[in-house]
Amino acid sequence: MSAVLRVENLSAALPRGGRDVPILDGLNLTINAGEMLALVGESGSGKTVAALSIMRLLPPGARLSGNIWLGGQNLTQRPESALRRVRGRDAGMVFQNPLAALNPSRTVASQIAEAWRVHNGGGKSTARVLELLGEVGIPNAAARLDDYPHQFSGGQRQRVLLAMALACSPKLLIADEPTSGLDPLIARQIMELIARLRRELNMGVLFVTHDLSVVEAHADAVQVLYAGKSVEWGSAKQFFAHPRHPYSEALLGAVARVGQARLHNIPGSLPEPESRPPGCRFAPRCAFRQPDCEAAFPPPSQFGATTAACFYPRPVRDRPAGAETFSTAPPRTFPPQLQVRNLTVRYKGKSGWLRAATAPPSLLDASFALGRGECLGVVGESGSGKSTLGRAVLQMLPYEGQVLLEDTDLATLRGTAGRARRRRLQLVFQDPRESMNPRLRIGEIIAEPLRLQGQLSQAQLRENVETLLRRVGLNAQLAGLYPGSLSGGQAQRVAIARALAASPDIIVLDEPTSSLDVSTQAMLLNLLKDLAAAQALSYILISHDFAVVSYMASRIAVLHEGRIVEMNDTKTLIAAPRHAYTAQLIAAAPQPRGG
Amino acid sequence: MIRMVARRLAASGLSILILVTLVFFMAHLTPGGPAYSILGLKANATSVAQLNARLGLNQPLLQQYGLWWWHLAHGQLGYSYLLNRPVGALLWRYELNTLLLYALAISLSTFLSILLGLAQGVYFGRWPARFIGAFQLGFYALPPFFVAAMLVLWTCVRRRWLPASGMVNLRLAHPGLASYAAHLVLPVITVTLFTTAPLSRYFGEAVHEELARDYVRTARAKGVGFTAILFTHVLRNALRPLVTMLGLSFPYIFTGGVIVESVFNYPGLGWLMWRSALAQDYPILIAIVLVIGLLTVLGNLLADVVNGLLDPRASYE
Repeated sequence: MSAVLRVENLSAALPRGGRDVPILDGLNLTINAGEMLALVGESGSGKTVAALSIMRLLPPGARLSGNIWLGGQNLTQRPESALRRVRGRDAGMVFQNPLAALNPSRTVASQIAEAWRVHNGGGKSTARVLELLGEVGIPNAAARLDDYPHQFSGGQRQRVLLAMALACSPKLLIADEPTSGLDPLIARQIMELIARLRRELNMGVLFVTHDLSVVEAHADAVQVLYAGKSVEWGSAKQFFAHPRHPYSEALLGAVARVGQARLHNIPGSLPEPESRPPGCRFAPRCAFRQPDCEAAFPPPSQFGATTAACFYPRPVRDRPAGAETFSTAPPRTFPPQLQVRNLTVRYKGKSGWLRAATAPPSLLDASFALGRGECLGVVGESGSGKSTLGRAVLQMLPYEGQVLLEDTDLATLRGTAGRARRRRLQLVFQDPRESMNPRLRIGEIIAEPLRLQGQLSQAQLRENVETLLRRVGLNAQLAGLYPGSLSGGQAQRVAIARALAASPDIIVLDEPTSSLDVSTQAMLLNLLKDLAAAQALSYILISHDFAVVSYMASRIAVLHEGRIVEMNDTKTLIAAPRHAYTAQLIAAAPQPRGG
Repeated sequence: MIRMVARRLAASGLSILILVTLVFFMAHLTPGGPAYSILGLKANATSVAQLNARLGLNQPLLQQYGLWWWHLAHGQLGYSYLLNRPVGALLWRYELNTLLLYALAISLSTFLSILLGLAQGVYFGRWPARFIGAFQLGFYALPPFFVAAMLVLWTCVRRRWLPASGMVNLRLAHPGLASYAAHLVLPVITVTLFTTAPLSRYFGEAVHEELARDYVRTARAKGVGFTAILFTHVLRNALRPLVTMLGLSFPYIFTGGVIVESVFNYPGLGWLMWRSALAQDYPILIAIVLVIGLLTVLGNLLADVVNGLLDPRASYE
């Protein structure tokens, strides 16, 4: 096998706050033809900087050292004009968020043709575009040549981006989180497409992701980055069977899987690039740390086909650490609390002067009950009506049907009584920072619902805010900060504290973890579980991630095209899905690791 | 798209009605009157009353207002009190002069704005962009009449290179193109300087913003060169705010035009408006306001239509 890409001792520093901050530290990796290497790390680990450095696409001012061998050239030593000939021809790249990565005002065909023409001159480009679109699986490609990116679905846009990267048949494909933000079924198709193309075209693939479960089925090799340094690398097969670095093990344990009993979260948070610890960078968060871990960075220690940079690597066991223990608790019964009957929501469509709007309903005839202390999962793809359902229950949308909270129809309540009753239903959004006023301090954000409830003195307010912050596992001193200075996980905990401030009975969680890293997600899900148990909170958890829903919910409703196609208690649903769509969702979710 | 245009025009009708009404009553309620401009300030009360009766100015204001719309409905804009000529024809003659001046100036400033804005966006934060920024701020802050006066002083009074005012040399029996062109140079330069400053600033911001977008990184990853990215990807997306600004600057151009045209004694619509306002020549004044209102509406509409062509995502709904 011949190496397509060889990266030796690659370091990158970016200017931040007036000085160069090292982001990536001594990265080594080799990718052979037809091989897929997964570069895994959480946000802030330096994985995207690594991918961009290889293409030499870092922003101006970045400092780079080391060697990048691609197609017989050392890219760190080449001028921009030579790099331009390498980009697209020897190495193609696909990005996260395909809508932003495509030019909105040029047709898809012209953008793909450009990738071909830049390196091959004019002529024959339409034929090549059609061939490429067929290769990535865009149906009826000839009719779509003049369409613009916004006319394609999310998955198709990623396919278009892939066609663009493949235009000159590069020997290396760099994929930076190409599946995050997509629905799981679509993400799986994209992943399979990349895996198939790399075999057919004998192309090396560098797959950058934060989620180990995404690459589990297809990666040949794995490299785990933590705070800018590789902590474990080697064959994917052995890595997934026996992760040896404590961080790898913890990261694998944090992935939500179908039917899991308890997620393992990693305490603490990733250090900022300015304040990385001197020794092993994971040491402060490591459960197995020894005094000498903090003195020096551990040398690599090889075992079989993987190498871990750890003084005390985990022993290889017959049964992988954190292997699945299915929840064995019997199904509980909950006292009834919320009743939803025949909920239908129609958004107003385009209406003319004479004809009325006739849009199909976004939600049709949804009926369910929620018990006190129960968590109901609502799962479905984007556009299935799951967020609409949450908003209708919260009385934020006009709807048909009934929403009864303890036998009182919420729609019939008016004035103070209605507001007081509605306050018992709270909401946590997907993007916590967007849902907070950036000009208010955390303390004021949490105090707002308290103030609405009645007259409390300043001292009482402050005390209540501190109690709430502690309850969601945050330091009370955070109250003085602004939302902008929080990490994603912290911000989402503040959002939960704000919801709790109204002392609700029911919280609607709308994709609460989909913008978070896996380890942060695990921490947050466990927090929500503990809160529910401690104060008999009920949740309606809305998510496209079946594994997350199955971890949290005792019952799951599957939404498809605005209808609840199946609803059952979690264990029965997983064991015997009755609807074909449910079976697909379960199959696309991360499966339990061998045990 | 045609439905969008029709709907927008219908909605703008009300704005123009309010505008014209407001100006009509404000103009008529100011003390004095056109009679004094025609007869002189020392005219006696009887001759003023006679003239007012002849012009119809002694009738109730509401009746005059109604009559104005009645005449408009029949395609009449009335007669100028002072010049005693039909307003429609008068406006048309002066409007052609203004159009000549502004068509040249706006084309020139759009061209300059695109050049300067591209440089500013590309060199954002470095000295070429700072230099351009200083130029923009300077011309944004300077009063146009001052710059116009300085230009006249340097190029017409001290050196006698160019004519200082008017549109054509009146001494010539058959003025040629060169005479028109020489008279246009200074007004065009003045208007260009003042419209380029804000336009290029907005466009520069837009170029800088677009350059930071993900699709630029995608194009670089394809191996496209920087110049090609700038012209085939960034330019079209960055033009949208410039087009909106151009559409919105229609009324600004007209009010700014009053000053430039009066400094250079250029017989355009702004000059006519200034003279008519001083003389309280109501029919001309109101007709010009009507024209400005219509141009504002059309400018906005045009900007929306062009932006719709630039951005395939715009759906006009």
